[in-house]
Amino acid sequence: MKQISTVGSLCPECLRTIEGIKFVEDGKVYIKKECAEHGSFTTLISKDVNHYLKMEECFDVDRARVKAPLTDVNKGCPYDCGICPSHKQDTCLAIVEITDRCDLGCTYCFADSTSDASNDPDMDTIRRMFEAVKSCSNEPTCVQISGGEPTLRNDLPEIIKMAKEVGISHVELNTNGRRIARDQDYFDRIKAAGIDAIYLGFDGVSDDVYLQRTGKKLFDIKAEVINKCDKAGIGVVLVPLVAKNYNLHEVGKIIEFASQKVPTVRGVHFQPVFYSGRSPAEMEGRTTILELLEEIETQTDGQLKVENFTPSLMPTAHCGATCLTLIDNGNFIPLTNVSMGAVRSKSDVANKTKKSIMGRWKGSTPDLQPVSKPSCHDLLSKASLVNASKSDVSSSCCEKPNNTISIETIPMESSCCRSSGGWADFIEMSMNKYLTISTMAFQDVWSYEKERVENCCIHVVTQDGKLIPFCNYNLSNCNGDFLYRNKNKVIGMDD
Amino acid sequence: MTINISDETNSLLKDNGFRIEEIQEIIESAESSGNKLKDADGEVFIARGDSDNLTTYAVYSPLANGAFELKSAYAHKMKVAGLTGGSFGEVEYDDESGWTCHKCNEEAVDRNVDMFYLDVSRPGPGIVCPKCGDIYITQGVTKTLKTAESILEEKRA
Repeated sequence: MKQISTVGSLCPECLRTIEGIKFVEDGKVYIKKECAEHGSFTTLISKDVNHYLKMEECFDVDRARVKAPLTDVNKGCPYDCGICPSHKQDTCLAIVEITDRCDLGCTYCFADSTSDASNDPDMDTIRRMFEAVKSCSNEPTCVQISGGEPTLRNDLPEIIKMAKEVGISHVELNTNGRRIARDQDYFDRIKAAGIDAIYLGFDGVSDDVYLQRTGKKLFDIKAEVINKCDKAGIGVVLVPLVAKNYNLHEVGKIIEFASQKVPTVRGVHFQPVFYSGRSPAEMEGRTTILELLEEIETQTDGQLKVENFTPSLMPTAHCGATCLTLIDNGNFIPLTNVSMGAVRSKSDVANKTKKSIMGRWKGSTPDLQPVSKPSCHDLLSKASLVNASKSDVSSSCCEKPNNTISIETIPMESSCCRSSGGWADFIEMSMNKYLTISTMAFQDVWSYEKERVENCCIHVVTQDGKLIPFCNYNLSNCNGDFLYRNKNKVIGMDD
Repeated sequence: MTINISDETNSLLKDNGFRIEEIQEIIESAESSGNKLKDADGEVFIARGDSDNLTTYAVYSPLANGAFELKSAYAHKMKVAGLTGGSFGEVEYDDESGWTCHKCNEEAVDRNVDMFYLDVSRPGPGIVCPKCGDIYITQGVTKTLKTAESILEEKRA
């Protein structure tokens, strides 16, 4: 046993802050922590220390804090969330839950959805939630409208419109898609209200999967939502919840399906289940990032390898992994690789992630826009060179050069105007055939690391206008008592 | 060797991060070895400098007093692997590039060449001397390559 570091964590029973150690044994990484009252707890966090450390090597980010904290430091992390002044990371995505109700009744749901309509926040409350994001977080601001199932609210279009009025830069909708699939008028109003992207629950490409979790056949519904978004020019991110004995065997097919639906489908965002069970041993469905990546490698016949997934620009190297890939005639050309070393970024994590959310996951790719469609003239070597050589460096190659050859005389293979598979095609492809595959490892009370949550950039907005880091918001002890969700007061400290 | 550089060209060098010394070296090396392209009138030359991670080109003209005037400089990070398809094939009349390989005194021709960068390989147009096989990439093509490079560099973005 070799200790790597100490960790600040929580007791899975009483949620008191306790210290622990991170250690390696038989090539696996564990967290061991001890509560004076409830004893010792050991949790596996990675089955391969080499991959674990490689991800750390590849992680190098700058950070920016929130514009204005909304609470004070009082009891210490994680009991002062709101955001407190000691939080180290600005918001990249704020989640605004507009209802607890849901029409699916999944066997698993971290949002703990119910069917009680009385708790839905009213419009004034929701406006204050949006305004909290504006006052706390730096520009630009990204909000995900979530729930429950937000489309159960008939006033969702008005809510989206209000978010835009308040000045939220990017508004995406987290939905199971059922209402969008059947209610064109509703979808049209969502679109008119200015929705920027759809975050679509998408657990698989076969109804078996949906039947298992929801008792309903949903695949055709998912396909219809993508179809509608395609026509409307709205980007879609597919969001599969992943668990063993559920859909882990389908992750490759999900990626393949997504690759056929680019550019409408901008990305696949896998969310491995996280649990609040009695003990880690009960979490048999639990899937680590590495296990998921290995499955992706196997199921894509090695086209997308574990090493193609680099740490997401998230709180820490262990919060998520991302692969950017181009789709070329049904094949993948991954653009990311851990062997390339640390992803270096001049802008801070949240800013970079927001750019990604707003750009790649939307119907367009602002990063690439300045390039525009490559002009044929770019590849007409003579045309451009003649211009340069006649001492007119500044003149554009797109202007009519004197001594140029017509497109017809360019050899077949070198003309970008005929599909040649050359570099110009490559550029065009990269703008339209681009898929982001990512995964995020949520924390539970077993794997909890204070360092991760202190740097969290996904913040849930409460109805009283506070921003709570996602993993704290959804954290419960092993008896299912939440630290923040459904709570106005904090448990686990003095009470 | 005297190389005149106009203010305009100088700012182009600066904007693109070229050092005047390295461009001068490329031209000096081309002038001493004869490895360069020249246009039909012998008024414009292109010299190429290879380093580990960058291929740099200088476009320049001879002046009456024996000095040279730098017209432009550009570079690509991609490696040129060689002719697409490997072999040269027959040279057709309309393949002529308008450039001559100075050393071989041979008309250079348009040919697709394979270029690779960060594990991706694609063809693109090059100017090739049929005799010595030297390959030059033009400034216009480099613009396209630069864009592709930056897309692939998202790895480090």
